[in-house]
Amino acid sequence: MIYDVVVIGSGAGGGTLSARLAGLGADVLVLEGGPHVNTRTDFNTHALPFEFPSRHIPTMRPGKPGFDGERSRGLGGKTMLWNAVALRFSQRDFKGRQHDGVGEDWPIDYADIAPYYDRVEREVGVCGNYDHLDDLPDGVFLPPVPMKCSDIVIQKGAEKLGVKVIHVRKATLTRARNVRPACHFCGNCMSGCDVVAKYNSYDVQMAPALKTGKLTLRQNSIVYELAVSDEARVKEVRYFDRETRAEGSVQGRVIVVACACAQSVALLLMSKSSRFPNGLANSSGELGRNFIPHITAGFELFLEDFIGKTSENDEGFLDHAYIPSFMHDKQRDYGRSFGVQFGYHNHRATGWARAIKGMGKSYKEAVKARYPAYMTFSPYQEMLPNDDSYIDLDYEHLDEYGLPRARRHWKLSEMDMKLHNDMKRRCQEILEASRAQIHSVSQEPSTNHEIGGCRMGSDPRRSIVGATCRAHDVPNLYVVDAGVFPSSSEKNPTLTIMALASRTADIIADRLQKREA
Amino acid sequence: MASYSSDRRKVLKLFGAIGATCAYPFAGDELYGQTAHEHANFVPQSQGRFLNDADFKAVARIADLIIPSTETAGASQAGVPEYIDLVISRDAQQQALIADGLRWLDSQAKELGADRFVELDERGQLSILEPLCKAADEEKTEARNVQFFALLKRLTADGYYTSKAGLMDELGYKGNAVRMNYPECVHEH
Repeated sequence: MIYDVVVIGSGAGGGTLSARLAGLGADVLVLEGGPHVNTRTDFNTHALPFEFPSRHIPTMRPGKPGFDGERSRGLGGKTMLWNAVALRFSQRDFKGRQHDGVGEDWPIDYADIAPYYDRVEREVGVCGNYDHLDDLPDGVFLPPVPMKCSDIVIQKGAEKLGVKVIHVRKATLTRARNVRPACHFCGNCMSGCDVVAKYNSYDVQMAPALKTGKLTLRQNSIVYELAVSDEARVKEVRYFDRETRAEGSVQGRVIVVACACAQSVALLLMSKSSRFPNGLANSSGELGRNFIPHITAGFELFLEDFIGKTSENDEGFLDHAYIPSFMHDKQRDYGRSFGVQFGYHNHRATGWARAIKGMGKSYKEAVKARYPAYMTFSPYQEMLPNDDSYIDLDYEHLDEYGLPRARRHWKLSEMDMKLHNDMKRRCQEILEASRAQIHSVSQEPSTNHEIGGCRMGSDPRRSIVGATCRAHDVPNLYVVDAGVFPSSSEKNPTLTIMALASRTADIIADRLQKREA
Repeated sequence: MASYSSDRRKVLKLFGAIGATCAYPFAGDELYGQTAHEHANFVPQSQGRFLNDADFKAVARIADLIIPSTETAGASQAGVPEYIDLVISRDAQQQALIADGLRWLDSQAKELGADRFVELDERGQLSILEPLCKAADEEKTEARNVQFFALLKRLTADGYYTSKAGLMDELGYKGNAVRMNYPECVHEH
């Protein structure tokens, strides 16, 4: 059979898009490289370290496959283990070049995507407070969760510097909804969520969509090549079974790649043909370039207000507060900005104790006194694209299936480093104003939230996909993940991936109906 | 807000009546009821020790000097020596560092008139270890015996604060619980 749409990947992008298209009546096949994972029984959500001789809590229960390698292979993708921070991008984020003269603009505006943010928030449930900020648009919110005591201390400290601290916004239910209960605040969000109070694309979108009879899931199917016809259309999706290695292929009118940034780039780079010798949809040579992951710094600290206090249960759903960008409208010698996530450590983890000085009874007391006061503080910055930051394939180090690995290269420009250093300095000021004892500061920048490599743009010589996420070179190929973002914002990418996927689903459905696809 | 929290209290009552395994009476395959926070991973401690008895005893003694028993358990009561034994059994460099360190401690003990480090009284043992601890705190870790102490302290801290005695009883970890709501802060900050 020829499917209307074949989707590769089942995370935030693939899950949102496939469920929407099935709901609109298209015959959709989803190919997922990993197995089905039962959130109730397969993750080690509620384990404690002393249940394991090595004290390391494995992601999966004994004998359960999935989510144990470099790639998030399993239905639901990275949404199974994410922290659920769900922020809208603002008009500034879509038009960064217009705003501060460097980097890239998106070919779409906030107004183009706003209705899809609305739709996705209604669909999955996002909690948050209506803050009426210009640079962080409000959404359709469930009630927020109260800030933690420690958040209020940071809020008061930041306030002295004119910096605003708001309630975090997360795709986690604070009220029961349909078959999903509200969050129970166990604090283990990033170890799976056994009750699906926290959004994941499989349980929230795909499983309900199976009832339409229009959605077919083929799990444990690792796609290694998209073969093209003479008309530059994808004619066949080739895959093998993760366990048996048996090969298979499927056909679809439309093919959607949603394997999460670097892996989507890798699949397109692997799909070489005489028509596309440098990788599928890569006539521009831009595939893999413009890799712009979020850059973070990390602080560990003890809030003096809580040193020596009794330990309380303040796990909540990890971080309850957020510091939105406050530098983007200030005079500065760099482009773009940063925001801060903090307090998302889990109190099962006590690795900081080894660095407390001393030994004996006084050491033991010092650790105990600091335990209720411990906090992590992690600013995230946007980086600008540069020639040294790209994704390519490593044919010398093949993975267990004999496929080349995706290799990430990144280097910060002088301007990115100016932003990074200013970000660290301002975080330090906020922490000092909050009477924090700083325990450790990251020495080197590190990356999180992979973004870029399949840039969206209106010029086919400088980008891979157009404003609808459709490849310039291949009329039946779409990419829906953070790979297409021309600029990253400092805000967490997932809600924008979902909104783009929902919008692209409508565009594909429209084209299928008009028989243009 | 008032009606919301009273609804939640009703749910709480229901939860109590049905028991901890299933908060929702209609929970079928379709319904994500709150499941009990079960712990399905318990694996018995591995048999067989890597360290010989004398070295194991010495490691246990050092661990107890780093984290002694107080109103709560100390390192060896919390199973830290077994944890250290397991970790170093996988790492040849750590094994060598610990073997050398223990020999060095015994050589120091001889200068204090004992055959072995473990035979010294607490004061004697601390007189050898405390300078190492100070050097480690000041990050003067060129000397191999300081590296040895730093490794044992790291392993002791890791093992103790991830043990049941260390995490639950000593530090008072209270997470991993089911709460019907998250309370507003009512303190003066």
